[in-house]
Amino acid sequence: MTRLVTPEMITERMKEFGTVEQVRKNRIRIKTVPEKIHDAITTAQAMLGFDRLITISTADNGETFELLYHLIGSHRLIISLSVDLPRDHPVTPTVSDILLPAGIYERQIHDLFGIMFEGNSNLKKIILNEDWPGNEYPLRKDWKPGPDVFYGGIKVERT
Amino acid sequence: MPEVVVSIGPQHPALKEPVNFKVIADGEKIVRLELDLSYNHRGIEKAAEQRDFIRVIPLLERVCGICSHSHATVFSKGIEEIMGLEIPPRAQYIRTIIAELERMHSHLLWLGVAAHVIGFNTLFMWTWRDREAVQDTLEEMSGNRVHYGMNEIGGVRRDLTPAQVEAALSRLPALEERIRKYVEMVNSEETMLIRFRGVGTMSREEALKYGAVGPTARASGVDYDVRRDDPYLAYAEVPWNVITDTRGDVYGRTRVRIGELWESTQIVRSCLENIPAGPIRVDTPKKAPKGEILSRYEAPRGELAHFIRTNGTDRVERVDIRTPTLANWTSVAVCLVNQNIADIPVIVAAIDPCLSCTSRLTVVNREGSPVVAVNRVLPVKRDPDSGEDKERR
Amino acid sequence: MTDPVFILLYIFLFPGFFFLIAYALVLAYLDRKIAARMQQRVGPPFYQPFADLLKMLGKEVINPDGVDWRVFDAIPLVALAAVMTAYLYVPIIGYSPFAFPGDLVVVLYLMALPTIALFLLGWLSRNIFSAIGGIRAVTQLFIYEVPFFLALLTPAIMAGSWSISEIVVWQQHNLWIVFFQPIGFIVALIGLQAKLERTPFDIPEAETEIVAGPWTELTGRRLAVMDLTLDISLVVGSALVAALFLGGPLVPWTLSPPWLNSIAGFLLFLAKTLSVLLILSSIKVATGRIRIDQLNDIGWKYIASAAVVQVGIVLVINYLWVTP
Repeated sequence: MTRLVTPEMITERMKEFGTVEQVRKNRIRIKTVPEKIHDAITTAQAMLGFDRLITISTADNGETFELLYHLIGSHRLIISLSVDLPRDHPVTPTVSDILLPAGIYERQIHDLFGIMFEGNSNLKKIILNEDWPGNEYPLRKDWKPGPDVFYGGIKVERT
Repeated sequence: MPEVVVSIGPQHPALKEPVNFKVIADGEKIVRLELDLSYNHRGIEKAAEQRDFIRVIPLLERVCGICSHSHATVFSKGIEEIMGLEIPPRAQYIRTIIAELERMHSHLLWLGVAAHVIGFNTLFMWTWRDREAVQDTLEEMSGNRVHYGMNEIGGVRRDLTPAQVEAALSRLPALEERIRKYVEMVNSEETMLIRFRGVGTMSREEALKYGAVGPTARASGVDYDVRRDDPYLAYAEVPWNVITDTRGDVYGRTRVRIGELWESTQIVRSCLENIPAGPIRVDTPKKAPKGEILSRYEAPRGELAHFIRTNGTDRVERVDIRTPTLANWTSVAVCLVNQNIADIPVIVAAIDPCLSCTSRLTVVNREGSPVVAVNRVLPVKRDPDSGEDKERR
Repeated sequence: MTDPVFILLYIFLFPGFFFLIAYALVLAYLDRKIAARMQQRVGPPFYQPFADLLKMLGKEVINPDGVDWRVFDAIPLVALAAVMTAYLYVPIIGYSPFAFPGDLVVVLYLMALPTIALFLLGWLSRNIFSAIGGIRAVTQLFIYEVPFFLALLTPAIMAGSWSISEIVVWQQHNLWIVFFQPIGFIVALIGLQAKLERTPFDIPEAETEIVAGPWTELTGRRLAVMDLTLDISLVVGSALVAALFLGGPLVPWTLSPPWLNSIAGFLLFLAKTLSVLLILSSIKVATGRIRIDQLNDIGWKYIASAAVVQVGIVLVINYLWVTP
């Protein structure tokens, strides 16, 4: 695909999904909502040549969890689609049906943050051991290891 | 034979690091695969949130032994961009030299491991012996064979003396000679060819669809290389080529890595000969302004991405590490179906897995009390090196 | 030659079992040292295989759950007994005192027993890796055994006798058989490498794929006995190939005192087996392991056809020149 894609084209096309800002010479950040993320990614893939997912980053902002989907294409421009999820109900539709590599990242995020990805049936534990207790999500800011919880693995005596 | 479950790992001679595949096999053909990556999880991302910028660099270096400089550099580069710092050119060159030396030692290691996996121990012994030349150079420059500790926010911590430059340049011709020999060997050694050709093939569309990165993707014709696409350090000033191949099988990946090995020797030579004089660091503010950045780097295994968010203090708010091996696992799981059991180690080794990069969270520290062991394979340490036995100290 | 004391000394001392085990350990050392030097390493000291054997004999024997330990103990001993018996028919210092017409077939049969033993061990350890390894061992046996047998039977056809010692005597009066049958020699060497399960044919024991195959659950003295069996197989195999193709321990001229003849023969025997070992070690170092389905391909397409061609050539030579 040799059609030249410029940041202006991207801004133009992605405006309908949310606020767009160019944060760096080759990266554009778009703030959108979970309901529109599917369409946003499909548009980016189909019209603007973004064929690869770099990663799905997460951050814990206190009251919300923020997910960023970073996509890149052969034109070397990156878009970061950012969604905010409320802390008490962190659910978002999965994108692993349109972007296959997302499956593994969503599994990892689910393990570490507890964010639920609707439509992803394979949210088994990948990065935590299988007898990790169910409700503990280590990478949340307010998580501290409980004094009497057994996290699986080897029991260690307190000395 | 009916379908049997062969559990490869977590302890298995084919694996250099603990990972668990449950392979459901019908005779010698693989039907399905299930993956479990949790064995090297050490809690680095969470620990990084509690350390200031001086202390967090050694922690991030220890995500992995072989690509330690990659993690430290990509993080420093990201923070420097947030702070708006301009690094002196001598520091850029020194970082580039160490980065390319790291790539060389990693690819030589990989070549040995790939040969060992098919039982060709002679090549294994030869490549690891040549790798010693690279390790000696790194030890002279940084004091250690892995975990170099050269980076800090604002530049590098140690300078290169002319004697070190001289010694490094003197080792290069012998290495180049050996690399030429390996190119010849890989192209003509019959048993390697029949084990590597046609195994684990991935077409260009599949490589894009499954999100492969690094030499794994470049062997299938996907032309992504962060050093050229988003130039950083000294890569824009030094002449070098991106190596791609069209075969997409393990043989293609071997050729890409050997090609990159050659390119790295040229980059190192070029940088050592043209290193500019000047200071090696700039003064940095203690606190970073609020900001976020996606910092990317071409580690020996592929594209490494750190997503860093700072909040105006002297710590990071969040560092999200996406390692190349994690991106490549989906393609392995897909490539392995319908291959023979005998090819599992070959295909897994072909993506050059670095599981310490992949799983990064286990140790949880509480102030003043002993750590809780969460990982059942590794005993708990504060600054763990993964159970990697490839590291030689 | 029926003096019982002599027979007992022959069997147990020289060139019997004591010499056999010592020579097996020496050949194992040389094999490892040659491989190490080719790989730019230093290699083990000369007593290493002996030390390994002693160490293994003293280690703890672990019986996996549910495995019949008596059978597990017996099978390595049966394999060891088989190869040691096979050794007695191979001429070492001259005509073997146990030779009889057909002892070639007996030796070949006895040398196949260790592979069957490995299969049984693999099957009986309740372990998926061992089972896969055992199956691979037997599959490999089917593939290389046909060409190997054919290549070792062609000297018999040419010499007109089924006794190894007779074949050696025939070579004393004519040329070494390797000059008549070079293809057969090469096929025999490949078959021997496959029988000893050395690279590129160490498929049953593929360390990086199936842990250790049928050897996984062998521990302590069972492992020592099985290792010794393979080392002794190396001696018997090289001695067999040396006897059938390279003229064995008989010198082409007869020296006057018979004991000098024997010593010269013995030294020739050592030289010939060492050269066979050198070839086998070089093959081991220079190649990687192939897959079982690739072995199937190569084995039937190339090696077996070469062996059949060799048989054809020998029959023609026999008809035209040798027998009339």
